[in-house]
Parts: sequence; structure tokens; C-alpha cells
Amino acid sequence: MAEKQVTIEVSDGAAIPRTGDRGLVSAWRLSFLIALALFLYLIVFRQEPYLRLLKLLPDGIIVTLEVTCASIGLSVVIGLFTGLGRLSRNRLVNLVASTYVEVVRGIPLLVQLFYLYYALARFVLLPDMAAAVIGMSVCYGAYMGEVFRAGIQSIDRGQTEAAMSLGLNRMQTMFSVILPQAWRTILPPVGNESIALLKDTSLVSILAVSDLLRRGREFAAESFLYFETYTLIAIVYLLITLILSKLVSLMEERLGQYERP
Amino acid sequence: MYRAISLMVLAMSLLTGNAWAKTIVFATDATWPPMEFVDENRRVVGFAVDYMEAAGREAGFTPVFKVVAWDGIFAGLAADKYDAICSSVSITEERRKAMDFSIPYFEVRQALVVNRDSSADGLEDLKGKRVGAQIATTGYFAVRKVDGIEPRSYDEIGLAIEDLYNGRIDGVVCDDPVAAQYALRNKKYRDSLKIGTIIESGDVEYYGIAIKKGDTETLNLVNEGIKAVKAKGLDKEILNKWIGR
Amino acid sequence: MNDHRPIIQIKSVCKYFGRLKALDNVSLDVAPGEKIVIVGPSGSGKSTLLRVINRLEVIDSGRIIVDDMDIYDNSSNIHEIRAEIGMVFQNFNLFRHKTALENLMLAPVKVRKTPRLEAEQKALQLMDKVGLRDKAQSYPAQLSGGQQQRVAIARALAMNPRIMLFDEPTSALDPEMIREVLDVMIGLARDGMTMIVVTHEMGFAREVADRMVFMDGGQILEIAHPRHFFEKPKHLRCQKFLEMIL
Repeated sequence: MAEKQVTIEVSDGAAIPRTGDRGLVSAWRLSFLIALALFLYLIVFRQEPYLRLLKLLPDGIIVTLEVTCASIGLSVVIGLFTGLGRLSRNRLVNLVASTYVEVVRGIPLLVQLFYLYYALARFVLLPDMAAAVIGMSVCYGAYMGEVFRAGIQSIDRGQTEAAMSLGLNRMQTMFSVILPQAWRTILPPVGNESIALLKDTSLVSILAVSDLLRRGREFAAESFLYFETYTLIAIVYLLITLILSKLVSLMEERLGQYERP
Repeated sequence: MYRAISLMVLAMSLLTGNAWAKTIVFATDATWPPMEFVDENRRVVGFAVDYMEAAGREAGFTPVFKVVAWDGIFAGLAADKYDAICSSVSITEERRKAMDFSIPYFEVRQALVVNRDSSADGLEDLKGKRVGAQIATTGYFAVRKVDGIEPRSYDEIGLAIEDLYNGRIDGVVCDDPVAAQYALRNKKYRDSLKIGTIIESGDVEYYGIAIKKGDTETLNLVNEGIKAVKAKGLDKEILNKWIGR
Repeated sequence: MNDHRPIIQIKSVCKYFGRLKALDNVSLDVAPGEKIVIVGPSGSGKSTLLRVINRLEVIDSGRIIVDDMDIYDNSSNIHEIRAEIGMVFQNFNLFRHKTALENLMLAPVKVRKTPRLEAEQKALQLMDKVGLRDKAQSYPAQLSGGQQQRVAIARALAMNPRIMLFDEPTSALDPEMIREVLDVMIGLARDGMTMIVVTHEMGFAREVADRMVFMDGGQILEIAHPRHFFEKPKHLRCQKFLEMIL
């Protein structure tokens, strides 16, 4: 009896809404509606102390989004090169890329951030935002690298052969033929990683970066209103990640167009 | 587990010569030398620890110290995770709404720590610069009150001092015994940092033991102990040992 | 026909896949404008022979000279050589993210640095030539197999190659689509293109081939004019093979 092959995919990112999902009730809609309703209820009807806390949050949200956007951009670039490095036939390049991935995956992000900010201060004094963005990108670059590697490998070898037979070199083949196609495979996991990254930016609050979480912690530690503070902070994070996951799913839909007859 | 703890408490009570001593569990974040911190042998030590032990001997309770992160320390008290907080808690009106306080056991002022070559005489001189303090401390409130300073809140005062030492910020405001510990005695920092000034905020601040609202039994015991320590002049000895003023 | 110097010279080529000998001391010269059809049972090394000619597979010994350039010599630019050799695959391998027209334009623009407008005009001409002018803006997924293969041929032609290699171009097609592809290939042969074709389409072979090559076990066992090849093949294995497929 043949054993059934089962693949379990687990991601720490929020679920990306399925592109084809046209049903009225989806997990995304339900979560979004609940979060939005709760948010409005707290702000409009309860007001105190939520309104007072909310006024402190915009700067924090901006910092969180700045760190997130810069880190996604940089980690995608690092991920691309790491992925290419991991597929390289050059032994040295391959070894460097693989070692980077191993090392980064073996060290907790929190420790990496502490290291960049406090430990490396002996040699180079990174400003807090730079330390935050570099820390997040170096860590997520390794994860993205694995995504890129898998995405590139998923493209049929025939595509490479066709491109090569036309005289394209490796770089041209990669950037004109393979990557544009791999994007469709790569985008959902990159989106997932980006959402996980956004959530993990809360860790940069330990670098005294005034992000969303730190704003909340300051408020809570002064007012002792832990329940109220973290309820609102959780809702705000949830709303942001839900919006981001929707954006990813819309992009996915666009990229998928050429496969439809 | 429960039995082991009971036995330990019993043994400790016997050692202090007070067979019926009540155990009071004090939460401390233990990052605030010389008041309370973790020494090389990983024990919680400091001025406040000695003070509460002396108070315990006088009033008949056994203090046990539990290390808890600062920014959840008040929530833990409300949730009955321990009996009291002994962690350089300044007595403020805001806090009095949420918890009870013992009589003060230490008078504290806010000190501004700066780099040795800095000419800042007070917070006013640091406008347009970044000044750090520990999250939700009196020092942080003092920094935030000054317009034009970019306040930065740290989880631990040690990290703020390290950032000052590295040059990412231009000053740190903290309680004066802590400032003295870092700027005058600490081997790593004493040659680079100095106490710029003692900030005169008008009213004097006191450290008290925070106790859950309504827990009069613990409150009375602690107050009794502190009174006795002051009456016997034991506090001078402890002050001398840890702070030297 | 043989008064020119050969455009392809394959000299004592051996190629191993692990321990399997895919090409066993293979030698073959192809003259400019010549049409060679290679037949043989599966696993005989036909496809491998095609693929070593533009170095999609690397040979283990021997030499291959295309247009006076040794393609395994480090000093020759393999990308330039490949641009002169068009290849058509069994599975078409059209770039799935590009329209038919874009498939044709990619290599001229990227490799030859042809201006886009010029490349587009040439691409449209070629789409016309393969009878698919109206499908220029279609993506591969919107085309039938036969149409895809015709686009793939046009794509190879867009580089103005001097040689065309066909690796079982009709094997993946439904029967009703084979004809349209063969017609394009026959047209190409009439235009004087040098062609090496691996195929099982014997009608096509009879009509087009200047020489037939029979391979088995990594070796070339017989090379003959199609009339002799189909009527009285010399080699026993060749006879058996032809009996089976005809």
C-alpha cells in the first residue's frame, strides 16, 4: 500500500486571503470586521482611556511602518542575493550564502538586535533606526533567501534551457525569464514573511525605538491600565497586518493574470 | 513543591530566631544599583534588601525577594503574584490611587548623568538633544516635562547608561543613588561619566514599599519594621554601607 | 552539396551520465544547408547529441566545431555561438510570462541589442510566417500546443540562426496539430536552413532529409540517403527499428 504524501505548511505570518475567495464570509473579513468594530466601539463609546492612548499612537505607528517598509525592501534584496548564492555553482559563494542562513537562523532575533545595538557599539555606533532596520533585514533576509531559492527552483528547467539556447547569459536568464515567473510562487511566502516581519518589529522597542509597542508600554507602565492598553495595541497591530495581508493578496491576483486562458 | 517551600520558610524563621515570622514576598526588578541589584553570586543585594532584612528582624517577618521585570511589576502586585514591591518605587499621587504605600524608607532626588566633557548644568541645556531614562520612572517624567528634549525610554537603566557611554544620547536622568553608583563607583563608567546636576523638582521624593490596596496586615508589619530601623539608627549603617552619604 | 566546408563538425564525442554512456564516440559532419534527420529508439542518445551541439550538455571527450569555432574552447563565447543555433524543444518551453510577440523579441533585444521597434517588426513578420499574426498578443497558456510550437520556432528564427536543432518537436502534440508544425518546418527547409531534426515523423523525414542518421546505444550505426535508408537499411537493428515504426 502506497503511503500518502502529506505536506504540512505552517507559517507564522497572518493568513493571506485566497485570491479566488469571493464568498461573503471569509476569515479575513470576519477578523477585519471584528477588529474594526471593537476599535470603533472603544474609541467612540468608551473613550477614556482609549482616546487618550490613541492620541499617543500615530508617531509609534509611523515608526513601526517605517521600520517595516525599509526592512521588507532591504530583506527582499538580501533574500534575492542569498537565494541566488544558495543556488550558485561557485562553491565559495554557495558556502558563504548557506553559512549566513545557518548562522542567522540559529540566533534569536531579539539577541541579534541587542548584538547590533549594544555589542557592536564598541566598533560601530549605529543609530537606533539603522540598527532596527539592519537587524530586521539581516534576519528576514535569511528567511527570504530560502523563499527565493525555492521559488527559483520551482521554475521548469526548460525555461532556462530555452533562454540559454537563445544566447542569453545566466544573469539575463535569471532576471528576464526565471525571476519574473518565480515571483508568482515567491510572492505569497514573501508576503507571509513581511507580515511576520511587521509583527516582529515590536521587538525593536527594546532598542528604545519609539514604535507602536513602546508607546503602549510607556502608557501602561505609567497609568497601570494594562488591560486597556494592550487591548488597543493588539487591535491596532491586527488591523495593520490584516490590511497588509489584503494588499499581498491583491498583488498576487495581478501577478497571476497571464496564466488564465 | 509546596512542602519544600514551607520547610524552607520554617528553617529561615528558625534562623532568624522568630519561629512564627510571616514571610513577605517582595518583587524587585533588581536592576537599580546600589538600591537593589544582582551581585556576582547571582543574589539580590543592595540597600533596600539590607533595609528590609533589618526591618524584618525588628517587626518579625521574613523577606523573600523575587525578581520581576519593571514594566510588569505593578500588574503582578494587582494579580497577587507577590505581597509587596521593594524596587525603588517613588511614592506618587498617581500610584497611590492604585496601591498602598509604606512610610518612606529613603529620600531620593533625580540626578542628571552626562558625559565627563559635557557642559550641561541642567535639563534646560540639553534642548534639541536626546535624554534617556527608564520607562515609567520619575526620571522619565522629568525628562518628558522639558519641551524640546527628545525623551527615550529604556527597559533598564543600565541600557540607558550604556547608550550614554556609547554616545547615542546626551544625558540620563535617574534616582541619585543610582546615578552615584554608575558615575562615581562603576569601574567602566566612572572615568567617562559624571553627575551633571541634581534636578530640583520642588517636592522631595521618597521610596516606599508598594503593597496591594487593602492588605493592611502586610502594610502594618512593614511600617512597624521601617519605624524600628529608623528609631534604632540602623538605617545610617546601611546607608553608609551602600551609598556612603 | 558537400562542396562547402562543414558548418558543424562532431569529432569522436563521448558523453556520460554517471556510468551510462550516452554518446559513444560519435562523429558527424553537417554541411551548410543540409537537413539531417536522426532516428532511433528512445534512450539511444539522439537528444543528447542535439544538446551537446549548443552545450546544453557538456561533453566528456572529443570536439565539436560550429562555424569554425570550437564550442568547448574557453576562448570562444558560448552565448554568441548559441545565438547562431536555434533550438526547438519537445515541450515548447515558451516563456510563460510573456506574450507570443514578447517571446520573439526577448533575445534580439537582450542579446543582439536590436532596437525594440525593429525587433517588434521582425517578430511580427515571423508570426506571419508561422501563420499566427493574430495571436501575437496571446500568452502561451492561451495557445494550443501546435500554436505554441510554431511560436517557439518563430522565437528561434528571430535570432537569424544559421542552424536549427529540433528535439522531437511534434512528440508532445495531439495528432491533429502535428501537420501545422511540420508544414512550418518544411517551409523552413525549402528556404535553405541547416537543420538537424530528431523525430519519429517518417513522412517528414522522407520529404525533407538529405541524410538519415540512425542511432542506438549512444552510437551512430547508420548514415544514409533517405531512399536507401528506408528501402534497404544495412544495419540489422536499423531494420528492426524501421519494421516496428513503419
